[in-house]
Amino acid sequence: MTLSATTRSRIESLRERYPQPRSAILPCLWAVQDEHGWLPPEGMLEVAELLALAPSEVQAVSTFYSMYFTRPQGEHLVVVCINAPCALRGADDVVGYLERKLGCPSGATTADGRFTWQSTIECLGACGGAPMMQVDHHFHENLTPDKIDSILERVGGGPADGAEDLAPAAAPRKPRRGRRPASAEAAADRGDGAAK
Amino acid sequence: MTDTNGTTPGAVDDGRVGLEIDGRAVRVPPGTLVWDAATRAGIHIPVYCAHPKMEPVAVCRMCLVTVEKMPKLQPACATVVSEGMVVHTQTDQVAKAREGMLEFLLLNHPLDCPVCDRGGECDLQDFAFRYGPESSRMPITDKVHFEKAVPLSDRIELDNERCILCWRCVRYYDEITGEKEIVLQERGVGTVVATFEGRPLQSEFQGNLPEVCPVGALTHRQYRFVARPWDLQRAKGVCAECSYGCNVNVDTRDFELVRFASRDNPLVDDMWLCDRGRYSVARWNQTARVRRPLLRQSGAGGEREVAVAEAVHEAARRLAAVKDTHGATAIGVLCGVETTNQEAYLLQRLAREVLGTQHLDHQLETFPGLRPAEHELAIAELEECSAVVVLGDRPEAEAPVLRLRLFKAQRRAAVSVHRVAAGETAAALAQRIRGERLVGVVVDEAERERGAEVSAALAAVNSAVRRLTITRGVNGRGLKDLGMLPGLLTGYEPAPGAGKNGREILEAAADGQVKALLLLNADALVAAAGELGERALRRAEVIVAVETQVGAVAAAASVLIPGHALLEKAGSVTNCEGRVQRIRQALPPASQTPPETRVLAMLAAALGAPGWPGETMAVNRALMEALPAYRQAGNGALARFAVAVA
Amino acid sequence: MAEYKLLLKDVGTPELWRLDSYEGVGGYQALREALRKYTPDEVVEEVKRSGLRGRGGAGFPTGTKWSFLPKDVFPRYLCINADESETGCFKDRYLIDENPHQIIEGTLLAAYALRVEVAFIYIRGEYFDQRLLLERCVEEARAAGYIGRSILGSDFSCDLIVHGGAGAYICGEETALIDSLEGLRGQPRLKPPFPAVKGLYGQPTVVNNVETVATLPHIVQRGGEWFATNLGADRSSGTRVFCASGHIERPGVYEIELVKTTGREFLDDLCGGVWKGRALKAYQPGGGSMQVLLPEHLDLPMDMDVYAKAGSSLGAGGMMFMDETTCLVDVSLRLVDFYRHESCGKCVPCREGTYFESTLMHRLEAGVATREELAALSDICDNMDGKCFCPLGDTATWFVMSAYKAFRDEFEAHCGAGGCPVRSAPAVAALVNA
Repeated sequence: MTLSATTRSRIESLRERYPQPRSAILPCLWAVQDEHGWLPPEGMLEVAELLALAPSEVQAVSTFYSMYFTRPQGEHLVVVCINAPCALRGADDVVGYLERKLGCPSGATTADGRFTWQSTIECLGACGGAPMMQVDHHFHENLTPDKIDSILERVGGGPADGAEDLAPAAAPRKPRRGRRPASAEAAADRGDGAAK
Repeated sequence: MTDTNGTTPGAVDDGRVGLEIDGRAVRVPPGTLVWDAATRAGIHIPVYCAHPKMEPVAVCRMCLVTVEKMPKLQPACATVVSEGMVVHTQTDQVAKAREGMLEFLLLNHPLDCPVCDRGGECDLQDFAFRYGPESSRMPITDKVHFEKAVPLSDRIELDNERCILCWRCVRYYDEITGEKEIVLQERGVGTVVATFEGRPLQSEFQGNLPEVCPVGALTHRQYRFVARPWDLQRAKGVCAECSYGCNVNVDTRDFELVRFASRDNPLVDDMWLCDRGRYSVARWNQTARVRRPLLRQSGAGGEREVAVAEAVHEAARRLAAVKDTHGATAIGVLCGVETTNQEAYLLQRLAREVLGTQHLDHQLETFPGLRPAEHELAIAELEECSAVVVLGDRPEAEAPVLRLRLFKAQRRAAVSVHRVAAGETAAALAQRIRGERLVGVVVDEAERERGAEVSAALAAVNSAVRRLTITRGVNGRGLKDLGMLPGLLTGYEPAPGAGKNGREILEAAADGQVKALLLLNADALVAAAGELGERALRRAEVIVAVETQVGAVAAAASVLIPGHALLEKAGSVTNCEGRVQRIRQALPPASQTPPETRVLAMLAAALGAPGWPGETMAVNRALMEALPAYRQAGNGALARFAVAVA
Repeated sequence: MAEYKLLLKDVGTPELWRLDSYEGVGGYQALREALRKYTPDEVVEEVKRSGLRGRGGAGFPTGTKWSFLPKDVFPRYLCINADESETGCFKDRYLIDENPHQIIEGTLLAAYALRVEVAFIYIRGEYFDQRLLLERCVEEARAAGYIGRSILGSDFSCDLIVHGGAGAYICGEETALIDSLEGLRGQPRLKPPFPAVKGLYGQPTVVNNVETVATLPHIVQRGGEWFATNLGADRSSGTRVFCASGHIERPGVYEIELVKTTGREFLDDLCGGVWKGRALKAYQPGGGSMQVLLPEHLDLPMDMDVYAKAGSSLGAGGMMFMDETTCLVDVSLRLVDFYRHESCGKCVPCREGTYFESTLMHRLEAGVATREELAALSDICDNMDGKCFCPLGDTATWFVMSAYKAFRDEFEAHCGAGGCPVRSAPAVAALVNA
């Protein structure tokens, strides 16, 4: 089996949570991606089996949503919005800066495997703090080159393992998305643009 | 249905909905879709995603029409009619929408029609000609590319570049088979149809995919580069691979069978074929065939080719000689399951009336007490049952398309389908299934006794129980109806004397009690008896065989007359539910000899019974005279036997 | 002028995301009151009286939407749409971050009014921390007896499930949201049947926006009448939370009374005006789907119907401002690319049309498109608009077509220019917007 006992039991409890088990498919796929960093086919097979679905149905769903990965990614995921509101405030410069800094084009992984970064046309909902990026799903807004340097340094510079339960400000994290008390820390980290 | 129904002044209250399409008044049942209403009125609206057997999805947007009082164009395939609705399909707005959709559809579609198997019968080609723009305004850039000609199995090939994403194959697996093998993956312009991780298709109903596909995205690997539709000759036929009686179109090219295509009969196949039937093409093109009449002398007399008249004359002489010497009980008559009703009618008369024997059959097994009550439920009526009991795996293994009907009954009509393992007793079943309005019992004929037992037990605790027995072979049912078996005459009338069944005839022949065998395309039947069949053929003094196959029977026959394969002749066959279905000649006969009905009439005449009809139509008239159930059934309907004969 | 803070009134309270903190500012009082004083139908009546219109974009009256549920068909479901993915909109995220319990309380009020026993908050996958926050708050509320069996001792029981999406704009469309919640690809469903009749799991279902339900505690506490007569006016009652973005001094989230505020007041008083002392060239209200408006429209009151009459919409509350240096072709291109990326692929005109549009727009912005291609672009948009399965494909044409109409010269100047005449050579900007 590809999935750990923890992931399997997480899937089983997700399955019980919904009026119909099939509804649990997205959270279950999240659980698989949390463990592996992407969705290996064997993981989808196990989800199918646990939810009593055809494997094809699981893949039909997993490929529809842009946040599930069909192949392994770097340790940290950086996503930069280049949609109109961000573009008006310099998103293209952020893209150019990241390209130079990380030394690879959008969609690629750095040679050391530390970062996968991509620009996205999908609005990430931080137009008030444009330009912005998400690093391992946490918002970083009102970016400047200095700010980007310090964020990437903080995230990717320290030890790559552990420290799952620490706030992003202090914790370099693997791209797995475990439980973490969110809230205040996240809000504080959001920057000063949206929150007046 | 709607409260507006009947409020229109002058509307006739016939329970129908009145609307106007392109100025034509149309009245249709409530709930009808505009597309269906238009089609009934003879108005063509192009569609890709809509399919008569599937629920509407309205994704291709080809069928957009103007409906008065609605601000936007509406998809005819998904819009339900309403009283007083006024629809226009010929407006400039509609024409522009169609042209626009075709421009969109062709944006990423390859220009490989010349090498596409679908060319000539492709809806994209046809509609592009009829409704499409003259050229695309897409600047020369790369189209979206996918891997071409990907095998999905040994039977089906997928070309995602040709796919227009109508969802039909996905819905087919969703709504028709329930197997969910093909799904949509990715999204937007990158959407593809695919299997899980590209794994091969497993379904035994894959062959329907190229038929539901409106373009050349899914094609038959066995039909790849074989023919163009305009080179084909098409005849209506019935699939010969089992007793279910699926209607097919038999497509031939230059006297070769190239494919079976489905021919929708909503009461039988519902337009679906199984792969066993669809891909049974090769056997009809076999070149090893009995081609000339032949006489063999006993001992070292050798063999010689003769004219058919001489062969018939000699057959009659030898059969008569056996009858004279050993009596009529020394003659056994057997035929294969691909014998038509017309042939069977003559053959059983020949056996009983002319040769005087009661030893005749079309199968090896005995079915004592065979009654029409075993055949009271029609295939389509499975959807009308409240519950259906399927005994064991055999019914669906023998007649695979039955599975699709059961799935449809389950899905569309909420029929509860119970597949019952061999171990479960009738009593236990009656505990489980009770209080139902109508229980359908589906049983294979080899397990008809269990079927009777289960039906009796269920009848005690449910309002009604009706049975569908899956017979064996394309005309196994017709041969029983016509009395081509011991103990029962035409129409299940009891025969005056006891006769031997197929196995007993062969045993008697092997023992030397039966001296003469009259075999009509019975090679497969004799072969099925294995070593017993071989002994019977060795020992029999006279073997008169009308045979297509080059096999043990043809090798042993003392009088051999070439037969005709089912696709080479006309007549009718009866499916397991009792539906009498016409078959037409699709291939030229492999030999010059007359058809079997004519040969049988000649044989009767040579044996002293002149004047029998020999042409199919004439035989059929006589048959219907003898069997009222078939006269009432006519062609394509059910033969019902009202009187159960013990 | 100033903001009118109704939904945002408690923002700034320390640790408002904690239950006790929310209760400290009067939180969950509306739920207590409703359970004590009102029948479910009375809550529906109160909401109808308030004139509250949905805040997700379409602006359909919430009470009317609720009344479409067939009587006596149960179970019913309630889905709160927190899939906010509209370009230029981030108010729902802000509402979640700043006051999550307000949304939960509003959800429970709606559930009570609609006799729903299982409600969902569908939150987009990208709002990862927000999902965790909501989950945490739901557990807190559950532990305090606001969620679960016999809530606050009443006979009202309701479970609340926070469901995370995984990256698909289309799931903000209510039937796509339902399909996604059922564990399918999030693609819109054929209507009819409408969700109110046959929605989640084939049962009657209401889908409401986050801001819509966040308003409910205030309506219940102060009365629908108060809401309708004191806030906003006419058919645009209440406040709305707007998302200001683009070329302005102070981007962010601002809550204002509808009707009583003009776009100019919003821009100058709240957003600090156009940045860098520049002039305004155009703005897009409503979010990325909506039509572009010009400086002259700034004096219109921010009223849903007035904006509709002006050929655009207040939509989901976006306000994106563009200064005089902006290339409208570039902005159009970004928005068109967004729709190409987010098209679910279900229907032909959206799937292929957005791809076609995007191809032509890239050529136009690069200065290599011909005038024929530009002409084709507007015809292609016409072949999409009103012909797609759901509004996504239709709206994929709205901004670009309105921009083409308003800035025709600028679009034409791109044809064969060999590059963007606006961005790469700002001097050319003089020829546009004449």
